[in-house]
Amino acid sequence: MSGVIERSAEWFERYFVPPLSVIASNVYLQAIRDAFIIFTLPLVLAGSLFLIVANAPVPALAAWLQPYQSAILVPYDLSFGLMALFLAFGVAYSLAQYRRTEPVQPGILAMVLFLIATVPVNGLEKMTVGDLLPYLGGEGLLVGILVGILSTEVMRLFRGSRFAIKLPKTVPSNVKRAFEALVPAVLLITLIWVLEWFISSHSFIDPATHKQTAYTIPILLMRIFEPLVLVQDSYPAAVLEIVLMMLLWSVGIHGMNVVMAIALPFWLSTITANAADPAHATGIVTEPFFHIFSHLGGSGATWPLVIYMLRSRSSQLRTVGKVALGPAIFNINEPVTFGVPMALNPLMMIPFILVPVVIVTINYLAFSLGLVHVPVVMQPFTVPVGISGFIATGGDVRGSLLQAINLVVSALLYYPFFKAWERVLVAREEATARQEENRATVQAEMRIRATVKR
Amino acid sequence: MVRVIIVCSWGMSTSLLVDSLVAAAEAAQIELQVEALSAGEYAARVEECEIVLIAPQIRHLRKSIEKLATSLGKPVALIEPFYYATMNGQAVLEQVLLLVAGVQEGEEDA
Repeated sequence: MSGVIERSAEWFERYFVPPLSVIASNVYLQAIRDAFIIFTLPLVLAGSLFLIVANAPVPALAAWLQPYQSAILVPYDLSFGLMALFLAFGVAYSLAQYRRTEPVQPGILAMVLFLIATVPVNGLEKMTVGDLLPYLGGEGLLVGILVGILSTEVMRLFRGSRFAIKLPKTVPSNVKRAFEALVPAVLLITLIWVLEWFISSHSFIDPATHKQTAYTIPILLMRIFEPLVLVQDSYPAAVLEIVLMMLLWSVGIHGMNVVMAIALPFWLSTITANAADPAHATGIVTEPFFHIFSHLGGSGATWPLVIYMLRSRSSQLRTVGKVALGPAIFNINEPVTFGVPMALNPLMMIPFILVPVVIVTINYLAFSLGLVHVPVVMQPFTVPVGISGFIATGGDVRGSLLQAINLVVSALLYYPFFKAWERVLVAREEATARQEENRATVQAEMRIRATVKR
Repeated sequence: MVRVIIVCSWGMSTSLLVDSLVAAAEAAQIELQVEALSAGEYAARVEECEIVLIAPQIRHLRKSIEKLATSLGKPVALIEPFYYATMNGQAVLEQVLLLVAGVQEGEEDA
């Protein structure tokens, strides 16, 4: 059996890893992902705290806080609600790091471009902050990403090109840098401004307010991408995303990070809509859908495996189990993935992909049938299973119950595969022990013969 | 003082290895400074270290990470996945010391 396992592992390494690596190592996807994690996520998480308070899970408390609700939501609106603005900075900054160029200037320029793209060129004085807010957050994410990439790449193109302003050598380098940025900055600002002017000279009747509303770049982009947001919030899309995540992890690549770089703008759009009206929220496929309800104990829902390992007959699995226990509480499972190992292990890869697909199916059913409140709150993925299900649903105990059911399902499905793999490892360990023993016996015999000869 | 950058993904799981690696170095009375960075931060700050290690879950980025490190003459290695899994600071420390020894040998040759 171990021969087959080794041969298929080699096969995977040769034919499977390279194409997946190509997607995963795309520099734009990496920059977008870094921007989300480093620049946007802290704002999202901080803002979510205020969202929880404003929609308190305890009815008595909720009733008491009701008159202050819109006041409590101000910190949420101006942190979580501005995430696209800061994402623009983050994407430009992170991309500049990968390109090894100065990151702050393209970051600032990206924010300026983002604002120009978001505000209609005419009638600025008639607009309120509230009119603009949706497009500075969840509905402006795509614009944020695009202007972020544009800003860094155009600045890089101009640095050292013949269009750059040439200054004498005596000019201090800081002054020089400011002038170098000037040409691409003016060029990009003009470009986005003219584009916005053209687009915002067209208008439509807003179905929600029945008011004549000017188009803007984010509104137009949302119109184009709206079908995609709807398609993404579906069962087939959820399965596709989880399969891709687990395929990547199966060859040892951080699947969540790769899929997130593409899917997070959609997840965030959906959860922002949920958070805006938690009582009537319907969006299902969001970040907590995966991090909180599917990856219990880490990607692949490996929590039960850790328990199995602690009492395993294989010494390798017992060693891994001991190390894996602490991190598992906080949903970190690299010890499991590389220690069992799950990655590049053709036997364990089967449940490693299958179990999350089953769990995603259960989750989708539970949310779409209204058995559990859909996720409305984002929190760090390190919040332990049990508590996190309650928080994510805005205080629905059935959220925790769903997690518990998923854990049982995971435990049952992993068990036969775990036992089969354990047998392979125990056989290997016994073979190694026997070899050691044989070697010791042979050596002892040789020593005896040598003494006898003498 | 040897400064090590471990290039990783979130820095969540790697921080466990960083602690274990620093503890192993202290026990061996070796001055070691270890930092876990994302690939982007690494590209921006590679000059600040002597040794580059790559966490196994981002080995798909190995080529680009290695290219940058070798262009600056910094030795780089992929952390053995099982050592990473068991957060074995002792074994990773040995990997670091081998890389340091490799650099010194190279300097003597030159």
